[in-house]
Amino acid sequence: MSSESCTVPEKCLKCSAELTSPVVCEGCHTLYPLPQRVDYFALLGLPRTYALDEAAVEERYLAVSRHIHPDYFGGASGEMQQLSIRLSAELNEAIKILRHPVLRAGYLLELCGGASAADDRTVPPNVLSETLMLREEIEEAQSGGDADELRRLRDSVDRRRAELIAQIADLAGKLPGASSADKTSLRHSINAVKYYDNMLDLLWNA
Amino acid sequence: MNATKDIIVGIDLGTTNSLVAWSGPAGPEVIDDGSGPMLPSVVAYDEAGSVTRVGRDARAHAIEQPRTTVYSIKRLMGVGFAELGDEIARLPYAVERLTTQDGRDQPVVRVGQGKVTPQEVSAVILAALRDRASRHFGRPVTKAVITVPAYFDDAQRAATRDAGAIAGLEVVRIINEPTAAALAYGLDRRDHATVAVYDLGGGTFDVTILKLTGDVFEVLSTAGDTHLGGDDFDRAIMDLAAREIAEQYQLAIDSPATRQALRTFAENVKIALSKQENATLEIDLGAGRVYRRVLTVGEFEGMIAPDVERTLASCRTALRDARLQAEDIDQVVMVGGSTRVPYVRRRVGELFGRSPYTALDPDQVVALGAAIQASVLAGERRDLLLLDVTPLSLGIETMGGAMGKLIMKNTKVPCQATETFTTFQDGQTAVKINVLQGERELARDCRTLGEFNLTGIPPMPAGMPKVDVTFLIDQNGILSVSAREQRSGTVAAIQIVPAHGLTADEVRRMTEESIAHARDDMQAHRLIDLRNQVAFDTHKAEQMLSRYGALIDAPLRERIRDGLQALRTFAEQTTDNDELAKRLQAFDEMTVPLAEVGMSAGLRAALDTGARR
Repeated sequence: MSSESCTVPEKCLKCSAELTSPVVCEGCHTLYPLPQRVDYFALLGLPRTYALDEAAVEERYLAVSRHIHPDYFGGASGEMQQLSIRLSAELNEAIKILRHPVLRAGYLLELCGGASAADDRTVPPNVLSETLMLREEIEEAQSGGDADELRRLRDSVDRRRAELIAQIADLAGKLPGASSADKTSLRHSINAVKYYDNMLDLLWNA
Repeated sequence: MNATKDIIVGIDLGTTNSLVAWSGPAGPEVIDDGSGPMLPSVVAYDEAGSVTRVGRDARAHAIEQPRTTVYSIKRLMGVGFAELGDEIARLPYAVERLTTQDGRDQPVVRVGQGKVTPQEVSAVILAALRDRASRHFGRPVTKAVITVPAYFDDAQRAATRDAGAIAGLEVVRIINEPTAAALAYGLDRRDHATVAVYDLGGGTFDVTILKLTGDVFEVLSTAGDTHLGGDDFDRAIMDLAAREIAEQYQLAIDSPATRQALRTFAENVKIALSKQENATLEIDLGAGRVYRRVLTVGEFEGMIAPDVERTLASCRTALRDARLQAEDIDQVVMVGGSTRVPYVRRRVGELFGRSPYTALDPDQVVALGAAIQASVLAGERRDLLLLDVTPLSLGIETMGGAMGKLIMKNTKVPCQATETFTTFQDGQTAVKINVLQGERELARDCRTLGEFNLTGIPPMPAGMPKVDVTFLIDQNGILSVSAREQRSGTVAAIQIVPAHGLTADEVRRMTEESIAHARDDMQAHRLIDLRNQVAFDTHKAEQMLSRYGALIDAPLRERIRDGLQALRTFAEQTTDNDELAKRLQAFDEMTVPLAEVGMSAGLRAALDTGARR
């Protein structure tokens, strides 16, 4: 276990069962170090695609957790305990990304060669003016203590955010074969979500 | 139970009471040594600073020895002296700042001539629980799962782990109290539900929202306050009495003994008000002055309302962080002795729009859950999966004193984040990183976990080195940090100067001292046993000599007579157990002929009696 191997065994070296996730045998709980080129989809044993069944994602998360969680390595060697902690940390990051419709799209976009948020911070043209106006309305409703208006605003931001996510799902569904124009517009839509999330935070804390 | 396998017990180390439990074939159960399932978390010391009493005995003497009786020590665990503030003034025992060379801010309790850290006081309680379990099983127990409030930060968790080590326990897991309670609650039901656990203990409050799906316990969010609990309700009553006594009699309640007495009165009044509409507080102030006061439930509720409101605010935060509304919660499970207060139940019920579930024993459920988790760690079962979260965001101090978050609160543990650091000067080989925990925007408003000193960076022009620092929070919620320079691949060294707590060396020394103490105690016990045996054997030999001495030859008779006196004298003077045991054995061997003669004489006498009949 000392050197991190880059090759992924297809079958468990101990019990020869097929490996669904490259880091663990779900037959005999044997752990394997995380290969360098394994993405979060592969880690969970899921296809590398945007359109994932939510229930299937959760099911795979629990299935892998059931074998790698450090609680099951209480009696194992210190090295195995450390490995199970590191793999669990990796798995928890994977599920955080994959269960989130926007983070998943951004992650897949980068895997498919698209720009990261750091590379391209552009948002669609209407977003800035729209959120600016919304912010004013929120502040007005807040200072006036208008709870009904705040609720109406929250619904409207929720709706706008849902539209964006539908658009993101549509574009991300074309990956990896999406045109470069689609990839750019996907990146911009993903960037836009953050603006509406900030609005929602404001509204929830109002 | 497998006789060769190590037993792992579950321990609830509480502010007011502590318990130890284990998972047997019949399910989890609390170990009761006959004095009751709960061990009061109270340790009494003598003027020399040695432990004299633990638990019930210690609590019973709290009023006589207020300055050397330590309770509510959990409030001091993993907290800096400077952070304690007015907490110190409220305690009858003296708390000071430990002087350390590295400038750590660690409180110590002064007990007579001695000083003990909160970790050592907790270790005494843990050792008493360990001994209780060892006696129960008839063999030493060395491994434990210990519970902590979910809202405990890294320093408080580390302090708890250190206390376990000092007590000679391997702490195989630190588990959050509300999560443990949920385990005990959900295990039998195996239903699919979203549950809120409201845990109000003696000194801490947590609320945790979990999704239960049969055998998976997934924490969605947690919130709380590590300095809010039933102690504060007592204090509200104490403050009222102290204020009124000052007004009516111009007397200040400042002596530790009076404060301690008042605390006991206040606690009793609080308990009485859970069952009745009013209760009388009566304190004899001496010189014929008696403070008598009837407190109504309404008044009491008014006094504790601000504290209860703070717990409800935490509940709202937890709901929001879980992205849930109150109506999404299927069950509200009440845990902790302070949830017996009807006002608390009522307000919690109002918030969630349903009457809370109070059928569990609020005192025992956490220890039972810890025992269940212990059986998972012992490898006895793998049907349960516990997915918990980190209660606080983790970050580093950035330029200008801001808190740069690396791991957000309510992230599933274990979790990690990697941040790349570089140098600002040519040839710079070290970087200091200030690691923080908390939700506030400014570093100074968050808790400093420690300063991490990154050294061994290869000398390069400014900005060239790229050091990846990985912050890993394990399943216990405890942080570890590692670093690697990208270009050279060298593993940079990290020295941690914790802001609070004990160093590894200090824990090791305290562990050795406590083991040495345990050995001293054992030696003392053995000496007492040996002296008793000497007294018994010499007394018996004396009896035999007077009855049957004539039946043995004179030199032996003299030798036994002399040996008897010599052994008695030696037993009184010596502390050398081994030598005493050796001499006792020699004496017993010497008296064998006398015993034999005596036995046959006795037998003959019995036969004679029988023949005469």
